Amino acid sequence: MSEPDLGKVWIGVAAEVWRRRPGALERLASRLLRSPGLARALLTTPSLLLPWLIASIVVLGAGAAATLGTGQPLVALVAPALAAAAIAYAYGPGIDPAWELSCSMAVSDRMVLLVRALAVFAVNAAFGLVASAASGTAAAVTFGWLIPMTAVCAFTLATATVARSAAAGAAAGLAAWMITVLSGRVASGQFAAVVTRAVLVLPYLAIAVTCTAVTVYATRIPRGTSG
Amino acid sequence: MNVEITGLTRRFGRNQAVAGVDLRAGPGVFGLLGPNGAGKTSLLRMMATVIPPSSGRMLLLGRDPGSYEPRREIRQRLGYLPQSLGYYPGFTVVEFVEYFALLKDMPARQVPKAVAAAVERVDLGAKAKAKLRTLSGGMLRRVGIAQAIVNNPELLLLDEPTAGLDPEQRVQFRALLRDVGQNATVVVSTHLVEDVGAACTAVALMDAGKIVFQGTPAELTARGEGTTAAGDAPLERGYTAVLAQARS
Repeated sequence: MSEPDLGKVWIGVAAEVWRRRPGALERLASRLLRSPGLARALLTTPSLLLPWLIASIVVLGAGAAATLGTGQPLVALVAPALAAAAIAYAYGPGIDPAWELSCSMAVSDRMVLLVRALAVFAVNAAFGLVASAASGTAAAVTFGWLIPMTAVCAFTLATATVARSAAAGAAAGLAAWMITVLSGRVASGQFAAVVTRAVLVLPYLAIAVTCTAVTVYATRIPRGTSG
Repeated sequence: MNVEITGLTRRFGRNQAVAGVDLRAGPGVFGLLGPNGAGKTSLLRMMATVIPPSSGRMLLLGRDPGSYEPRREIRQRLGYLPQSLGYYPGFTVVEFVEYFALLKDMPARQVPKAVAAAVERVDLGAKAKAKLRTLSGGMLRRVGIAQAIVNNPELLLLDEPTAGLDPEQRVQFRALLRDVGQNATVVVSTHLVEDVGAACTAVALMDAGKIVFQGTPAELTARGEGTTAAGDAPLERGYTAVLAQARS
């Protein structure tokens, strides 16, 4: 009888002892995305980690309370800025410690960026809607900020991607949103004008589409060789 | 040939980091030597498909990395250790290696055994469940090597792999290189001449973005014989002599 290969036996044992059992959320993401690697990359998104989510809930909760107290639609004004910052800190150099390594992986970094950005957007939209509804604002305000939020997030993502800096993206997004809100206030006398006026929907959509195109272009697959 | 490079260049603004490199490498351990700033890291990053070349032709594992699908196939068969390995401090050794095994698109069922084998190969079994933030610099380097070899790569690219390793670990690492190099092409960028002498079957010397010597370690040694080139070992004298000749 031949001797067993103890090295192979040990590797089998170690694999069982050391293996990490993915949680329910990771298993679900893995099934939906059809890629365990992409699912794992999604769950390591810095702006989807518990401390960030708690901070977002606290800010929106404070906004809802202030809205109830003052009558000003603070949630509608804060939610797009919060989502934009989270989008900027979803993926990129300086955000992912192993960014350089990630760029050499079979799961493309463009897919990681897309999946993370969509997930961050969805989570922030859900949080914002709950806070907005809880703050007792009119339906126009409760839902009115979703399209501006799309534009601000797309602008932030495009800036962060082109500048290769999350901080630059977040700063540009927040500054752009603040200028928009203040301009709306000056023009109409109301802070809520930027999220309630139907005439702004088309410009917001145009900005969102243009910025998404810029992001897609900036993350295109570069040519590997040339003749 | 696993690596076929012709006239490869890479510019960063006005600075030409790689200036027309021709390189061919089959299975074995290939050492890439050169002083700091010679262009070794830029060349390795292009071969790792992290950055595209400015011009030139590159075939890796018989595929052109300029197109999406061939590039994905190359990356599935690639192992890469960057010069500066970023890591997630809250991950354990196993979680880190597993994460990159999954990003390399390895079949999920094969991952646990592949991870265990890679962790054992770099002698980190005793630290498998340790958080990365608790490890020393040398141990982190070995974690980086483990993620690079977890998919049994056909092309393994290592940038300064022995930085931070103690002498005993470096001896073990060279044995690992020779083992991997039996079936795969291993390209090791280093400025430590003794690593090349001990582990490499072929060597190229880069200076100012160009390859100024290509041959075997014995041939490099021979270039220093009978000269007054500085160096404590014969290979070092060959290295210095070739560099002096290239710059004269």
